[in-house]
Amino acid sequence: MALGTDLRPPSDPIDVLQRERTLRPDLFLVLAFLGLAVVGILMVYTASAPRLTAIGEDPASLMRRHVIFVVLGMVAFLAASLIDNRSLRLMTPLVYGAAILALALVLTPLGDFRKGANRWIALGPFQLQPSEFAKVAVILALAALLASAVDSGLKWFHIARATVLVAIPAALIFSQPDLGTMLVLIFIAAIMLFVAGSTWRQLVFLGLVAVVGSVGLFQVNALRTYQLTRLVAFLDPNADLAETALYNQLQSKIAIGSGGFFGKGLFEGTQTNLSFVPEQATDFIFTAVGEQLGFVGGTLVLALYAVVVWRLLVAAANGRDRFSQLVAVGAAAFFVFHVFVNVGMTLQVMPVTGLPLPFLSNGGSAFIAMSIALGLGHSVWMRRSPVPGERKIL
Amino acid sequence: MSFGARISILGLAFVVLLTVLTLRLWSIQVVQASQFVEQAENNQLKVIETPAPRGEIRDRKGRLLAGTRPALAAVVDGALLPNSEDPTLEDLIQRLSAFATLPVEDVRHALDDARLRGDRITLVADLTEQQALRIVEYEEDFPAVSVLPQPVRIYPEGELAADVLGYIGDPNESDLERPDISPTDTVGRAGVERHYDDDLRGHAGKIFYRVDAQRDVINIVNEDPPEPGANLELALDIDVQRALEESLVQGLALARTSYGQPECDPVVDPACPVRAVGVVLDVTDGSVLGMASVPGYDPNIFVDGISQEEWDRLSELAVFNNFAIQGVYAPASTFKAIAYVTALEENIFPREQTPQTRTGTYFCDGQLAFAFTDGSQQVFNDWLPEGHSSVDINSALHTSCDLYFWEIALSIWTNRQRDDGAGVYAEDLLQQWAREFGFDDETGVDLPFETDGLIPDRDWFERAQRETPGLVRDGPWTGGDVMNAVIGQGSVLSTPLQLANAYAAMVNGGTLWQPRVVTAVVDQAGSVLMANEPTVLNEIDLSPQTVASFRRDLQQVVNGDRGTARSAFADFGLLVEEVGGKTGTAEVIKGDTAAEDVDSALFVGVAPISSPRYVVAVVIERGGSGGQIAAPTARRVLQFLLNGEAGMTPIVAGEEAD
Repeated sequence: MALGTDLRPPSDPIDVLQRERTLRPDLFLVLAFLGLAVVGILMVYTASAPRLTAIGEDPASLMRRHVIFVVLGMVAFLAASLIDNRSLRLMTPLVYGAAILALALVLTPLGDFRKGANRWIALGPFQLQPSEFAKVAVILALAALLASAVDSGLKWFHIARATVLVAIPAALIFSQPDLGTMLVLIFIAAIMLFVAGSTWRQLVFLGLVAVVGSVGLFQVNALRTYQLTRLVAFLDPNADLAETALYNQLQSKIAIGSGGFFGKGLFEGTQTNLSFVPEQATDFIFTAVGEQLGFVGGTLVLALYAVVVWRLLVAAANGRDRFSQLVAVGAAAFFVFHVFVNVGMTLQVMPVTGLPLPFLSNGGSAFIAMSIALGLGHSVWMRRSPVPGERKIL
Repeated sequence: MSFGARISILGLAFVVLLTVLTLRLWSIQVVQASQFVEQAENNQLKVIETPAPRGEIRDRKGRLLAGTRPALAAVVDGALLPNSEDPTLEDLIQRLSAFATLPVEDVRHALDDARLRGDRITLVADLTEQQALRIVEYEEDFPAVSVLPQPVRIYPEGELAADVLGYIGDPNESDLERPDISPTDTVGRAGVERHYDDDLRGHAGKIFYRVDAQRDVINIVNEDPPEPGANLELALDIDVQRALEESLVQGLALARTSYGQPECDPVVDPACPVRAVGVVLDVTDGSVLGMASVPGYDPNIFVDGISQEEWDRLSELAVFNNFAIQGVYAPASTFKAIAYVTALEENIFPREQTPQTRTGTYFCDGQLAFAFTDGSQQVFNDWLPEGHSSVDINSALHTSCDLYFWEIALSIWTNRQRDDGAGVYAEDLLQQWAREFGFDDETGVDLPFETDGLIPDRDWFERAQRETPGLVRDGPWTGGDVMNAVIGQGSVLSTPLQLANAYAAMVNGGTLWQPRVVTAVVDQAGSVLMANEPTVLNEIDLSPQTVASFRRDLQQVVNGDRGTARSAFADFGLLVEEVGGKTGTAEVIKGDTAAEDVDSALFVGVAPISSPRYVVAVVIERGGSGGQIAAPTARRVLQFLLNGEAGMTPIVAGEEAD
């Protein structure tokens, strides 16, 4: 037996047709997604029914609308799962451009001004919220940009381009105004830059830029009064302005706290039924979970998010190429930030910001955009390397 | 760092974030859960108090003196008020000010108060039907204002018996320290309204509403109906009270007429007769049948809240004070009764010679010359310069001979016990007897703010020298001080009630009763919650001879030829022989001549004297002579007590007599 001669039987030849059949869904991820969607439908219903009844409307009307978005979201998830990495990368500039255009449109008279902000574009009976989709676009654009960097590390050149890439949508979103979504973009970008191999020095520099930037925002009074109020309320609960902002968080805390270990049961939440918690079907949906399902339900929901994030990170680790990996990381960062800020807000560990809770909050654009992000991460898993029966490529 | 390592770090960081949330969830939902459960419970409840109707007050024959009538009040709920930056608040203040005809500042103040406390305040207590309708119809114009049933206190007899009944008002700081009193409550501020406030007030009901976040009511969870306050039955007799008050008003008018200036203003003129005070007691059990000080007030003025100007105006004459228990007066010659009883019980009979009997005479010649311990010669003048010729202890009381009573004081003083054990009497023998009859101490009548008067003695005198310089002269306590005390002057002070009560004990055989205004506290069903039984303060060991002699002599003051009240009772009519009494004239301001003196007029009457039932004490402050002014005033009350409504004759001045 000569040295260098591999006497082991050759591994199965890579059969392209055979490989297609190994595209298997990530059952953990899919089940967690479905679980969250079901809890969401239930919570949207219980949080909205008493209020709708009180004003004499069909108690299920909001829930039915929500179910439509859930179905659309699942279709979007499926579609995103099936897009392969190469076509996705090709589509990226187009997607990014479209998102910027939509964000710009919002600020024109075509935008729909509601609740003190220009966030929507009316589409028949529905309102499209481009900023939700912009998050996905930024993930893709950053992944495409940073994929070109190799393990040797990112160049300052990449940092600069990435900054511009994020700054354009961030500025547009900030002027809507929507501080929360802007922070999502910054968080996603920071995480992706870190994973893509930025040096500590680069990260510290970016951190300084962020600090200087936020101080600058305060200096030029770019923040709206309500944004300041919420922030002041959070930092100093005794400040006078804080009253209303604090009231919402207090009611939210009372709702969750009074749920106790097992919760009060569905439709038994007095805080929920009597409308003490504001925006309960959307931003404060977690209070409905906490009050009705208790600590058990609350941790179960958090566990489902943990599963999602875990599967996305595993997908990232096994991604077929750097672009795919970064897309999965971006999606994970996206969900973590939303969950932490939203749930943290209801538990008064974070200030009040209008970020929806993934797959639970009522809101079509957010649900569909998040479904797409999840689907893209899922697609990374399905095309991981090596797919069973395949040698590792990367 | 490899890509895998970076992913791992990221994973770790994400685990930390989710753990933070889980721990926080644990802290809120498990550790602090009970606190939030309670808050959630309170969140959805709104408690509205429904005021309890205050108990009724009725006289001894069941006639209504104070009651409640249903009424509607405009109530502002502080929790529902627009906040201070909201322009609708200013609109509301302006609108309410116009609606309630209250100054804008007052309304603003009241609303601020309500918001601070998050509580309800009554803005207008007794709405007319139109007012109530206006608020209900223009609901949007009056945010946070509602129309609620709130019973209103009424005093159907107006001023009658106001000093006994008292009045109600907002609680002051000391009231708020009592249990169950909130700043929005109404409490008794004077009279039995105050003394029996806890019984009268009842317990407010509570309605528990379930509300939503807008504080809109969803349903009623629970309803505790209010418990009405208990009713009071008074010993007071409306008819007696009315006769007393009318007589006091006429007596005061008579005093001013006699002063020569019927329209004088006592606030600016220190000699103008200022008020008339009277008490009618049942000597058999201490019941207060009538009690008044004139000028009085109508307690109804407090129901809607009294304006500061009106309060100030009425306060100038302190009309809200019950002078029958809060006013202290030198009892003057009415106090000779104490010396009289002391003399009889202790066998002190001043005599010119040394006759063997009690009736041995004493010549009361208008001037008493004697020497002080230091040897200085003194001359004391009787109220009547020409004197009363020959008197014994009985005629000394009829004529109110000062000299005779000074001699009693001198006897006590000269025979007082010394350090060497010589002497017969305790130095403060007279004071001891006075205290036996309740002077120098509160009677304990069931009314607030009673004062205790004063019987001076050496201890008091020396303490006053130490503690309140200027109140008494320098030097030692002397026999002269006792001589002043014996005729009810000097520093002797008594409330009209104390005086009446002491006489009651002297004529009823020696039982000093605790005066009582309320006989029973009864609940709505009529069962007695608290019976205020007659209470004996002191059983005084009086010999029946003393009592019989005292009654006889009081009768002679009114009926005898030399009696100081004879002229005042001249037209008493039937049963005058059943009336006894004693006059008194207390020096208030010493003038240059006797005519310029300002005196208070006193009279204590007893009827029927053969079997005493009533004592009537009358004090007319700065009113003049007792025989001239106070005796005719009391006479009219005694006429009513013995002969009824028809027996009363107009008050006319008697002869000037001490």
